[in-house]
Amino acid sequence: MSSLVLVAIAAITYGSRAAALVFLPRPGGRFEAVLARIPAPIFAGLATATLLTGDRSLVGGPIVCAALGALLVSPTRSLLFCLIGGAAGYALGALLS
Amino acid sequence: MSTRWGIRSILATCLPAAVAILVFGTLYGAAARAILGVPLALASSVFVFSGALQFALLALLSVGATTLPLLLIAAALNLRHVVLGAVLRPRIEGSRLRRAALAFFLVDETFGFAVAAGHAAERDGRPVGPATERMLLVAGVTCYLAWQVGTLIGLLGAGLAVAESLAGAIFPVLFIGLASLAVTRRSHAVRALAAALLTAGIAFALPDLRVLAPVVAGVLVALPGVER
Repeated sequence: MSSLVLVAIAAITYGSRAAALVFLPRPGGRFEAVLARIPAPIFAGLATATLLTGDRSLVGGPIVCAALGALLVSPTRSLLFCLIGGAAGYALGALLS
Repeated sequence: MSTRWGIRSILATCLPAAVAILVFGTLYGAAARAILGVPLALASSVFVFSGALQFALLALLSVGATTLPLLLIAAALNLRHVVLGAVLRPRIEGSRLRRAALAFFLVDETFGFAVAAGHAAERDGRPVGPATERMLLVAGVTCYLAWQVGTLIGLLGAGLAVAESLAGAIFPVLFIGLASLAVTRRSHAVRALAAALLTAGIAFALPDLRVLAPVVAGVLVALPGVER
């Protein structure tokens, strides 16, 4: 890969980050309502994606247990408790595997 | 300024993610050294700052990809930033120049922290814009530095294979925590569950698109219906 290609890739990456944040006007009405509903599904999707590998299988047992531990305490709506639950789940998963 | 989302509090919030990013940065640096060489590997982390894309580029380069596939994968993987930016746009009120600077730090993790900070400010009756912007900036700089330091450690020849599994556990836990913070109504929880299932479906059917799957699923489940 040449330096020029790297510059192009960096430009594409920054452009994608700036496209909506910098160049779009502040959305309003129904569009804003839809945008407000997006974060929770995206985070849930990202959590799911990080549990799957490229060959259609689940990641290692301790990681799945960590996710289950976090999921168990997620009704507390506390990031700290989720991290503690995740750590406990990971430890349990590591012990069992 | 409320101390709840002061600089130290923000740093404490994003520290686990930063540690995980540092570990992955180390793995990236170690892998990139052989494929890109030290100067280009370092430059890729400094100017691109996107773990998913940089690992994908390495994978393509390792099988001899030419320029066009590299540019196409960059465009495809970066599409999600447009959606993340659009979600953050109503919460960020600064000038265009300020938003342009903040945009550099828009990655999955900092997006999550920024949305959570905005929700917390809303609940506490504080202005949403400054809280969101401060979080995006501080979390962004922290994660950016973690990625650079990690890359440098990897380029210097260190390996953190033992920590890889532990670091891999941080991201699902982090995103589950952020999802729980973003759920403010029952319908949000239902949509989140639907997005998780849809993401799994897309990832199983089209494994190569699993990086984009969360955004596609998130947008699809957010579109229909009304709030309850």
